[in-house]
Amino acid sequence: MSDSPQPDLVAPPSRRRAFGQFWRSAPTSFKAGTIVLLIHVLVAATGPFWAPFGAGEMRTGVPLSGVSWLHPFGVDQLGRDVFSRVVHGGHIVILLSLSGTLLGLVIGAVVGLLSGYWGGWVDELLQRLLEAMISIPFLVLALLAVITAGPQLSGSPVMVALVVAFVYAPRIARMARAAALDIVTRDYVLVARLRGESAWSIMRRELLPNASGVLLVEFALRAGYAPVLIGSLGFLGFGMKPPTPEWGLMIADNRQLIFASPITVLGPGLMLATLVVGLNLFTEGLARILGRSTRPVAR
Amino acid sequence: MNAPDPPPPLLSVVGLDLAYRHGESWRRILHGVSFDILPGEVFGLVGESGSGKSTVAYQLLGYRHPNARIEGGAVQFRGRDLLHIERRELNDLRGDRIALVPQNPTTALSPAMRVSRQIAEVLRWHGAVLDSAAAQRRVQELLDEVGLPGSAARRYPHQLSGGQQQRVCIAMALACRPDLLVLDEPTTGLDVTTQDQIIRLLADLRSRLGMSMLYVTHDLGVLAEIADRVGVLYAGHLIETAPAATLFHRPGHPYTRGLIASRPQIDPARAVAGERLRGLLRRDQLPPGCPFAPRCDFAEPSCSVNSQRLERIEPRHWVACQRWRELPEPVAQPQQRSGVLRDDGSGPLLTLERVTLGYGGHRRHGLPPVVQDLTITVGRSEIVALVGESGSGKSTVARAISGLLAPLAGSIGFAGELLAGNLRRRNPRLRRLIQFIFQNPDASLNPRARVGEIVGRPLQLFFRPGRAELRRRTLQALDDVRLGPDYLARFPDQLSGGERQRVAIARALACEPELLLCDEVLSALDVSVQAEVLDLLGRLRRERGLAMLFITHDLAVVRALADRVGVLYRGQLMQLSSVAATFCAPFHPYTLSLLLAVPGARPPGAPALPPAAHAPGSYAGCAFAGRCPLQQGSLCETTPPPWREAGPDLAIRCHIPLPELAQLAAAPGAMIPTEAP
Repeated sequence: MSDSPQPDLVAPPSRRRAFGQFWRSAPTSFKAGTIVLLIHVLVAATGPFWAPFGAGEMRTGVPLSGVSWLHPFGVDQLGRDVFSRVVHGGHIVILLSLSGTLLGLVIGAVVGLLSGYWGGWVDELLQRLLEAMISIPFLVLALLAVITAGPQLSGSPVMVALVVAFVYAPRIARMARAAALDIVTRDYVLVARLRGESAWSIMRRELLPNASGVLLVEFALRAGYAPVLIGSLGFLGFGMKPPTPEWGLMIADNRQLIFASPITVLGPGLMLATLVVGLNLFTEGLARILGRSTRPVAR
Repeated sequence: MNAPDPPPPLLSVVGLDLAYRHGESWRRILHGVSFDILPGEVFGLVGESGSGKSTVAYQLLGYRHPNARIEGGAVQFRGRDLLHIERRELNDLRGDRIALVPQNPTTALSPAMRVSRQIAEVLRWHGAVLDSAAAQRRVQELLDEVGLPGSAARRYPHQLSGGQQQRVCIAMALACRPDLLVLDEPTTGLDVTTQDQIIRLLADLRSRLGMSMLYVTHDLGVLAEIADRVGVLYAGHLIETAPAATLFHRPGHPYTRGLIASRPQIDPARAVAGERLRGLLRRDQLPPGCPFAPRCDFAEPSCSVNSQRLERIEPRHWVACQRWRELPEPVAQPQQRSGVLRDDGSGPLLTLERVTLGYGGHRRHGLPPVVQDLTITVGRSEIVALVGESGSGKSTVARAISGLLAPLAGSIGFAGELLAGNLRRRNPRLRRLIQFIFQNPDASLNPRARVGEIVGRPLQLFFRPGRAELRRRTLQALDDVRLGPDYLARFPDQLSGGERQRVAIARALACEPELLLCDEVLSALDVSVQAEVLDLLGRLRRERGLAMLFITHDLAVVRALADRVGVLYRGQLMQLSSVAATFCAPFHPYTLSLLLAVPGARPPGAPALPPAAHAPGSYAGCAFAGRCPLQQGSLCETTPPPWREAGPDLAIRCHIPLPELAQLAAAPGAMIPTEAP
C-alpha cells in the first residue's frame, strides 16, 4: 500500500503555514522544551545588557540579605547580586555545553561509523577500547583528563569543552556504530563498495546521512546533560575559575552558607535545573518527531 | 448482488467506504466496494499495489486501523455487521469463524514459540479443545492436513522453510474450521514450485472442507488456478467481477484487459491479445469519474466526470465502464523481441570456467559449495538468464562476478582479461564496466540522497567531469530511462517502485557499462511496472548492445527477454539452452517441473510434482536426485550425471537419455509423482 507522495504536484504551502502545521502537530514536550530553551537563550544573549548589576560588581546590597525585588536571588557574601551573575553566566554554560557536545559528536560519529563499517578486528579493538572508557565513571574520567592536561590549562573554557567532548565521544561512538551496523547491510552501501568508494567516502555519503536521525537525538540528549557535567566540574573546582559567573561554580561558592541564605544557592540551581529540563523535553520531543518522520523502508 | 441463485451469501460487503488519515485530512481509499462471497466459494480480489485490496481483506476481519475511518457501508456476516460489533464479539469471531492467512509467514509466526504451541494457542483461545492432550492430537491432525510431518510440531519457525512456515500459518487458520478464510497474498515471496504446492494444498482443502475463501493477490495467474469468481479492484473501486474463466477469456473492463495482457507469457501462442497497461496508479491524480480514465486507451472526456457503476453485461459478469458496449476487440500485440545477437568473432564478454563458490562456514561444516563447477559464457550484447529456486546459488554467481566473493576454484574472465576475485584488486575500469542492479530498489537507493546525487556520484568517481558536464551527463542517464530533469531533486521515497528501479538502472548506465548483472530486478515490482522495466531493458540492449546476466525465478520474464537460459539447481547447472530450446522438448526434469509450476501454465490433468525436498540423500550423485520424478534407481544418487550436448542450442546434465527426455515432455502426464524422502 504505497501511495507515493508527490509533494511537487501539490501547491507548495507557504513557509509560515508549513511551520504552523508542524508546530500544531508537534508533541507537547517538544513545545514546552522549545519555549523554555528560547527563554534561556534570550536571557543568555541579552542578559549582559539589562542585568541590574555587573558580574563582578561588589557592594550591591547587604550580603546574604535574602530575596528582595532588587535582588531576586539574593546577595552573596561578597555583596554581589546573584541574579545579575546568573544572567551574565548564561551564555558561558550554554556555549560550553554545545561546543563540548558538538566536538564529542563529531569525534564519536566518525569513530563509530567507521568502526561499524570496517567490522572485523579493527571494530573489536575499538569497541573494547571504548568500553574501557565508558566503564570509568563520568566524573572520574573528567578529573583524569583535567589532571593530565596540567594546571596551566585547568580552568580555561577550551579545557572544559575538551573534557566534555572526551567524556561523551565514546558513548556517542557506540550509538553511531550500532546505527552503522544496520546501515552497512543495505544494498546502497554495497553499490558504493562495488563502485570502489573509499571507506571515508562511504562513511560520509552513505552512512552519515542515514544515521543522522539517531545522532541528532544523541546530540540533544548529551547536550542536556552537559550543563550538569560542567556544573559538577565547577563545583569540584576543576572547571572554570572564580570569579567567572559559571552556575556550578556559584553553587559551590555559596553552599557553606546555604543555611544563612538558601536563595543564593537555589537561584543558580534553579536556572541550571530549568535549562536541563528544557533541553531534555526538547530532546524527547525531537526524538519523537524524528522517529515519526523516518519512513519505513520496505524490504 | 450478483448471485441470482438461491444460496444466500455467507458474507456480503455492502458499499464499503473507508478513508485513511493523510496529514491533517482524510483520503478516501475505498469507494463503495460491494461483493458477496457464497458458501464454499473462492472469491479472488486482484489489483496493483495501492489499489486497496489488503484493506478490503482486513475489513472482513473487522480490523480497525487507528488511522482508518469507516465512512459508510457494512460487512454482513451471519446477520451481524462486522464493522460495528463489540470488540469482544469480534475476538470470538476472528480465528474461529473467519481466519487470516497472512502474506509473510516469517513475521506472522512468533520466533520464540514452537509450532505446536502456536497452533494450540488458537485452539485454546476459542475453547475448541478441552485439555492439552486433546490439543496435541488436534495439532497433529492439522499438520497432517496441511502436508507437514508430525515432527514439525516440535520445531521453531526458523527451522522451517518459507513454504513450510506458510503451511503452519494455514494450519493455524484452519484450526477452528472457520467458515471463511481470508488469504492476503499467501504465496508472494515463495518460490514458484512452493507456490504451486501451496495453491494445490488450498484447492484440496477447499474441496475437502468446503470453506469459503477470499484470495487477495496481484497475480492473476494464481487466481486462474484457484478462484471461482474474481473481483478487480482499482484505486479502491471494484471495477469488474466475473467468474474466473469469463474474466480471462472475455475481460470487460479496459483495466482488466490491460492487466491480463501485461503478464509476460511463457507460451506465446497462448498470449492474450490486448493492450498493455501504461502509466501508474496515482492516488493524488484521480479524476472524479472513472479512476482508470487517465490510463485508459478508450477513455472519452465524459469518463473522467461520470462516476461509473457496476453494470451487468452477462449473467454473473459485472463491469463498471460506461463504454463496455463500444470497446473494440482486443488486438494482439506482437511480443517485442530482438533476434539473438550472434558473436561477432571477438569472443565472449564474460566467461566462467569451472567456477566453484562457497562461503567460509560451508567449508568448515563440510557442506558442499554453493555453486559447483559452473561453466557459462555471456557474449557481447547477449542476455543470459540464470533461473532456479531460492537457494540454487544464482545470486551467489552474480556476487562472484561483481567481485564480492572470490571463487574457491575456477576462473572468471571479462573481455579476455582475468578478473581478480577480490574487488579491491580490480582496476576502476573493470569496476565501471560491470554494473550490478539489485532486486529491491528501496534498499539499493540511499534514502537520504537526491536522485541527482545518486546518479551523479558514479560519474564523478569514474569520469571526473566539470559541473556543467556532470549535470549534462546525469540528465542524459535519466533520459535514457525516460525520467525528466524534474526528478533530479527528488528523494527515493518520492518515487514509485518502478521509478526507483529506473533510477537504479540509470545509475548503472551512467557508468557506461558493458555488462549488467540483474539480480531479480523485476520481482519486487507490480505487474504493469514489470512490463515497463522489461521494455526498458530490452531497448537498452538493442540500442547500446549491453550484455546482461539476468537472474530470475520467473520463466515468463526469461521468455520475453533472454537469448540463452541456464537452469541452476543447488549450485549445479542442469540445463543450458537457447531460449527457444528451453521451452520445448527435451527438458531436464527439473526444468520441466519449473515450467509446470507456473500458475496457469499447467495443462489440465497434469499431476502434482513432489514437494521440494530439503536435503538430498547424498552429494555424490545428481543434486536433483530425491526430488526427480524420473529417478533411475540408485544410479542418480551415486554417480554424477553426464553433461550432454544435444546440439548447438541445448545441453542437459542428466542420466536419462535425451530421446526419453523428449518423450517425457510430449506427455507431461507421464510424470509420476514419487514420495519425497
